[in-house]
Amino acid sequence: MENQHTPQDQGSLDNFFNISFDTATRAQIRQAAVWAKLYAICAFVGYGIALVVAFFGRLSDVNYEGGEGFQMSASFRSGRILGALLVAAIGVFINYFLYRFATSTIRGIDAMDNITTNDGLNHLRRYFRILGILLIIALSLLVLFFVFGLLAGLNRLG
Amino acid sequence: MHLDYDGGNILRETVRWSRFLAIVGIIALCIYLLLFLLAGAVIASLFSKFAPGLEQLEGLAGGILIAILLVFFGVFGVLVYMLYRFSSRTRKAIEQQDQAAFADGMKCLKVYFIILGIFGVLTLLGNLLSLITVF
Repeated sequence: MENQHTPQDQGSLDNFFNISFDTATRAQIRQAAVWAKLYAICAFVGYGIALVVAFFGRLSDVNYEGGEGFQMSASFRSGRILGALLVAAIGVFINYFLYRFATSTIRGIDAMDNITTNDGLNHLRRYFRILGILLIIALSLLVLFFVFGLLAGLNRLG
Repeated sequence: MHLDYDGGNILRETVRWSRFLAIVGIIALCIYLLLFLLAGAVIASLFSKFAPGLEQLEGLAGGILIAILLVFFGVFGVLVYMLYRFSSRTRKAIEQQDQAAFADGMKCLKVYFIILGIFGVLTLLGNLLSLITVF
């Protein structure tokens, strides 16, 4: 009698795939999450360093001594800071999801908790989705630049 | 602990995006390889200009460039292959309820993140080096 499932139990069991997180699979996912966490932390620290270099680094290859040289170095510095800020903002945004994937998945796997593990996998989904969308935007811009370059070249010839 | 429907649906969408990324990565790798094969001599001469000291050592600049590119193509190739394999194996696992394919897919995800992690540590070391040289 104890082994028989009630209709309610049967319904909840129907919600499962015939795929289990066995010991080996759990270990694989956990290791993946640990390495993902390491990568995300390295990325966060890297963006921090890039920002420090952009804000406080020397401009050794640009002339500082008065006139145009000074103006060029000032605009070069502000451009470098803006570029670093933009890259850091996008990078932190992307890697935040990777970090959340890692922390939630490790917690879920350790506690054998489906909901927390799903939350971690959901962050991995968001991470790949954002990367995909950014890649589509980058490819579209590349095609756009190529077409405009081609048109400009044809205009110059014609 | 089983994979429930929520987890299955999440993984289904995850593998869709990761597959797209892997395919674009493989195409980009092929284009780079083709460019290198077609314009290898021009790239090698440009590399010699950036490292003028190496011009005196005949053929060394080209050799170094080929070695660097081979390592880059090799690492990037394994990375995108692992991502592609993760997506194809996990998708098969979800569609056919295949436990072995699921384990294989997760193994590929692990290898993918190991490569990414090592790359991240090396990049961080490079950044720290730049921090030392800049100040």
